[in-house]
This record gives sequence, C-alpha cells and structure tokens, in this order.
Amino acid sequence: MFDDFYSQFKLNFIDENRWVSLLKGLGTTLEITFLALILGLVIGIVIAAIRSTYDKNQSSLKKKGGFGYVVMRILNFICNLYLTIIRGTPVVVQLMIAYFIIFANAKDGTLVAVFAFGLNSGAYVAEIFRGGIMSVDNGQFEAGRSLGFNYPQTMIHIIIPQAFKTVLPTLCNEFIVLIKETSVAGYVGVMDLTKAGDIIRGRTFSAFMPLIAVALIYLLLVIILSSLVKRLERRLRKNER
Amino acid sequence: MKDNDSLIVVECLKKHYLNGKVKALDGIDTEIKKGEVVVIIGPSGSGKSTFLRSLNLLEEPTDGKILFEGTDITDPKTNINLHRQKMGMVFQHFNLFPHMTILKNMTIAPKKLLRKSEKEAKKKAMSLLKTVGLEDRANDYPSQLSGGQKQRVAIVRALCMEPDVMLFDEPTSALDPEMVGEVLEVMKNLAKDGMTMITVTHEMGFAREVATRVLFMDEGKIVEQGTPSQIFDYPQSERLKDFLSKVL
Repeated sequence: MFDDFYSQFKLNFIDENRWVSLLKGLGTTLEITFLALILGLVIGIVIAAIRSTYDKNQSSLKKKGGFGYVVMRILNFICNLYLTIIRGTPVVVQLMIAYFIIFANAKDGTLVAVFAFGLNSGAYVAEIFRGGIMSVDNGQFEAGRSLGFNYPQTMIHIIIPQAFKTVLPTLCNEFIVLIKETSVAGYVGVMDLTKAGDIIRGRTFSAFMPLIAVALIYLLLVIILSSLVKRLERRLRKNER
Repeated sequence: MKDNDSLIVVECLKKHYLNGKVKALDGIDTEIKKGEVVVIIGPSGSGKSTFLRSLNLLEEPTDGKILFEGTDITDPKTNINLHRQKMGMVFQHFNLFPHMTILKNMTIAPKKLLRKSEKEAKKKAMSLLKTVGLEDRANDYPSQLSGGQKQRVAIVRALCMEPDVMLFDEPTSALDPEMVGEVLEVMKNLAKDGMTMITVTHEMGFAREVATRVLFMDEGKIVEQGTPSQIFDYPQSERLKDFLSKVL
C-alpha cells in the first residue's frame, strides 16, 4: 500500500518535475491575490470615502448647493452603479468579460486577472469600510469637529483609526475569499495553482494527489493569513476595554 | 459687533425639521458678553441643547444669524473650523477618543491645528491635567477612567485649545450621582477664573450658585431670563413657575 502511495506521489509530483509547475502556479496565485488586494483596497477606500462623505454631509451640501453638491451627487451615483453591477454578477463572468471583451488584445492574462479581481474585491472592501466608518459613534465625529478639525482631518485622525479596528476581521475574511476566488483564473488561460493541479491531473490521469495537494496549499495559505490577522487584531485591541 | 465686550450675538435663530412642521428653535435673540456664565434650563424638548449645538454649528440653523467675535459664522463663506477652535465644547457622553491615551486626546488638536510642538502641547496638557487632579492618568486610556474622570478630561481637552468660550451640553447628565460633584467643581473653578461659559444643565444648584444669567427655554423660545435670584425666587411666567415646581 505504501508502495502504491509512493509511486502515485512520484508520478504526480516528481516525474517531469511536475512540482515545479505547482510551485509556479502558487506564485501566480499569490501574485494575482496580492496585486488585486492592493487594487481592491485603493478602490474600496476611495469609494467608501465618497459614499460616507455624501451620506454624512448630504444636508449641508444640499443647503450650500452649487457645483460641489452636483459633483458629489454624480460621484455617489457612479459609485452606486459600480457596486450594483459588481456585486450583482458572478466574478467568473466579470473575469471573462475583462479578458475577452475589454482587453481582447491582451497577451498577459495575469494582469487582466489582477484587474478583474481587484475591481471585484474593491466593491466588497468599499462596503466593509463604509460600514466601519458609519459604525463609529457620531459623538466622536462631533468631538473632532468641535475641536476645530475639518472633515478630512476628523476622518483621518479620529474616525478611520477606530473604523479600521472594527472592520479588520471582516476585511481579513474578504482577503481569504479573494485568495480562493482567484482559482477561477484558469478560465482565461492563467496558469495559477488550481490550473497547474488540473493540468497534472490531465497528464497523469490520477485526480487524487494533485487536487488534494492544491486544496492543502490553499488551506495552508488561509490558515497562515488568519493567524497573522488574529495577532494584529490582538495588538490593536490591547489598549481598549 | 454691538459693543466691545459682547462675544456672541444671536439674531432670530431658527431650526426647523420636516419642512417647518417641527420648530426646535423658533426665533432666539440673545447676546453673550465676555466673562458671563450663562445657564440654560428648561423642560426636555425645549430646544436648549439644539440652541447650544447651533452656536458652533454642530446643528445647522435653518435661519438667523450668529455673530461670534464679530464674524457671522452662519455665512457659508466663513471658515467655521477656525472659529470652532475658539469655542470649546463638552458633551453629555464625554466623547473622548478611545484609541488615544489621555495625553494624546489633549495634545492632538493643539499639535495639528495650532502647530504647537510636542513638548509645548504636552506641557500645557500636563498643567491642565494637574488642575483637575488627573496628572497621574496621562498615559491611561479613556476606558480605564470613571465617568467623572472622563468628563474632567473632556473639559481640559477642550481647554487645551485655549478657547474664548466653553459650551457645556448637559455635562453631568450621564454621570453616576456621586460623580456629579467633581465635575461641577471643575466648572465652578473655571467660572471663577473668568471663562465665558454657556451651560445646558438640570443642576439647579449649579445654576443658582455659579450663573450670572439664567435662560429659561420652552418650545424653542427663550421664555424668561435674568439673574439666578430673579429666575428661581421671583419667576414671572406660569411656564417657569410650573417647571420650577417640578424640578426643585
């Protein structure tokens, strides 16, 4: 039995250096996740800033009227449209639209995947951040303003540091989802971890070893990330309550 | 400016909700001079907190004018942030910043807004903390303090900006009874030092002892005003008599 296991292992990972393609796939998965995460964070923060500014200042903007109010309304509308479309369609479809329609001439599927996953993740990150900002007690906002801080200063020094603590677990969850979501990148010809495992399966005609190996690698990644964030969370919370 | 020592002039201030169906403030006219200790009393829902919060535009008035040190702060062109630096505010629920130490709570605004150096801001904060007997708590976080201690910190946090007037919005209403005294004591000392103060409170003892003028508000209007003795000993209107009979 052990011999059987060993020969399967050798066939799937060692012969023809198949483990190298798994390793390369893992690299691609990490690359896409990492870059999409940064893109998603940037998009998410910008959108959350626009939407919560609009929500918090709606009445005073309306009263002042004029150019500022119109611009904010348009920006808010665009953000809402983006959120609705991104959250209302499957990520695989978005990925394929990006690859086959928007960037039809693209040679590098990896960059298109970064774009698609980043855009997708941004929508969820935006709502997570907005929820965090809105969850900070309004008294904190008033205290900041009463000291003489303007709106952006109050946000940066007082509201966002508190909001960040609240959203950290949810944000972490979103990143874990993102790592796993990138497994559909194979749809547009990207050789990520899942695709690499699948190709080995096609070559060796044995599904068990490569697929379980792929699953274990994802699991390990998620466990490592979770424990890192848990440690960060504990450090942030040390001084409170 | 009407005359030299008037600090705040309020003209026909109105705050309406739901297109005028609810009138939280229904035409307030008053003038607050430097060094005055004004206490606003009245039944709940009378608009006294709304009035106080309008003075630094945390509540945006529907109509009317507020002149602060000669500037119309209700004018959209006025930079309200600069004027708010000169108006300290203390809230019912303290609103200390939970993610900062007591010292940081007190130094962040002077550092960022008045461009004070770390050392300078710290020195000022520590000397103020000493006046309220909390200098040994400088490096603690707000959650480690009692309610009364939090409110004392909130008062000195506002004082760090060296304001010209202090606004108190029911500063003792969220405190356990045995902690009310320590906060009122700080406020009394502040009044003694000549700070201009406007206080919304239910502490009639404080109003009687410390106020130079008491405003009685009801239904968004100032119904009666005068010295503590005039208000508490010789009330004129039926509404004030009725109110006093319930709270005294």
